[in-house]
Amino acid sequence: MATNKVALLIRALGGMLVATAALAHHSQSEFDFKLKVNVEGKVTKVDWRSPHARLYVDVVGEDGKVVNWDFELPSPTTMMRRGWKRDSLKPGDTITVTGARARNYPNIAYASTIKDARGKPMFTGVTPIYEPEKEAAPSAPDKKP
Amino acid sequence: MPEMKLPRLLIALVLLGMGPGLAQAQWIDYKTPGVPRLADGKPDLKARAPRTADGKTDFSGMWFANVPAKDYCRTADCIQEERMAGEQMNIGRKLPGGLPYTEWSKEQMKIRGRAGGRYDPHTYCKPPNFPRAWTLPQYLKIVQTPKEMVILHEFNAAYREIYMDGRPLPVDPNPTWNGYSIAHWDGDVLVIETNGIRDDMWLDIAGSPITESAKVTERLKRLNFGVMQVEVTVDDPKAYTKPWTVTLEMAVQVDTPMIEEICMDNEQDVKLYEQPDITGSN
Repeated sequence: MATNKVALLIRALGGMLVATAALAHHSQSEFDFKLKVNVEGKVTKVDWRSPHARLYVDVVGEDGKVVNWDFELPSPTTMMRRGWKRDSLKPGDTITVTGARARNYPNIAYASTIKDARGKPMFTGVTPIYEPEKEAAPSAPDKKP
Repeated sequence: MPEMKLPRLLIALVLLGMGPGLAQAQWIDYKTPGVPRLADGKPDLKARAPRTADGKTDFSGMWFANVPAKDYCRTADCIQEERMAGEQMNIGRKLPGGLPYTEWSKEQMKIRGRAGGRYDPHTYCKPPNFPRAWTLPQYLKIVQTPKEMVILHEFNAAYREIYMDGRPLPVDPNPTWNGYSIAHWDGDVLVIETNGIRDDMWLDIAGSPITESAKVTERLKRLNFGVMQVEVTVDDPKAYTKPWTVTLEMAVQVDTPMIEEICMDNEQDVKLYEQPDITGSN
């Protein structure tokens, strides 16, 4: 029974991660991927540091008050290999960000998409890498020197 | 003034000469030298595994889990794509029946699993261990000499030493994050043995333990230029009822540098685990 419970825990955690797709240095269970965030606002700061770059956006709420949202991005390492630069987004840029809200903190979220002022998706795609075939066939037998 | 012509010509020549250098001023996609390439300039991943001057398999180079990028960014406007080895989640995922946890491990797994990533040392930016480092989303770089292999890791700009100078494993060593590693050759396979790992380590996000009682054996086999297999055997009687073996597959990474990733620089997630859930969704 104990083994089954452990297996269930692993499956539950695994299922959550499949749903959330990406992963960096933590399990991401601190975000609730059922609670979607979709805001438009102006970039106030990009904090280009590990383990995650962070994007801060001023959003005007329905009550007219400005709230500064804190969005978690991938690591700068990953982003640079995908063509982002530390100044790809600048303070004052108008963007729309979607994401998943943190369970325990208001106004913190995991960013899923970013669109520019015209609604065009930004920073999409995948890391350009050379991919070996998944089931790698050994090369021709090497000649011993 | 005729005497000015030569300096101007020199300046023009120097600028012309700098042209390609200026274009390559960023290292992020600088071409790695010494890579076998196809006619189109892409690396020949099926070329033979390189060898050292003394005829041994040369594992030198940067490595990352052999997982396709597209698997983790299926939607058109995805920005969070990160390649990830499935074993990062559960290192025993391909073992029938899973890992053979001891009763102590089962209790640990329940506690760790219930808390999500709250207790994972990795969440707190602590160093990983090997084999866990093979599965993480940062690059590893192998530097190989005849008597020692060094594995550099982007995560926290760390290093691991593997001695090939004939020394035995230490007896009753002071436990460390990476433990103590020696290696010998079995034909083209490099066999790495490790002991002296700390008692409080996790092998994966699920929380599979590895303890001070562990002996880890990694068998490195470079199938060709592009792919290396790492067969990992963990013999840890405190955490597992019997030794188990999994094989990880690594893909060589070229035309980009190592980039330091100092996790403590701006760690902001721990606080999210430590506050009560305010969403009411759980």
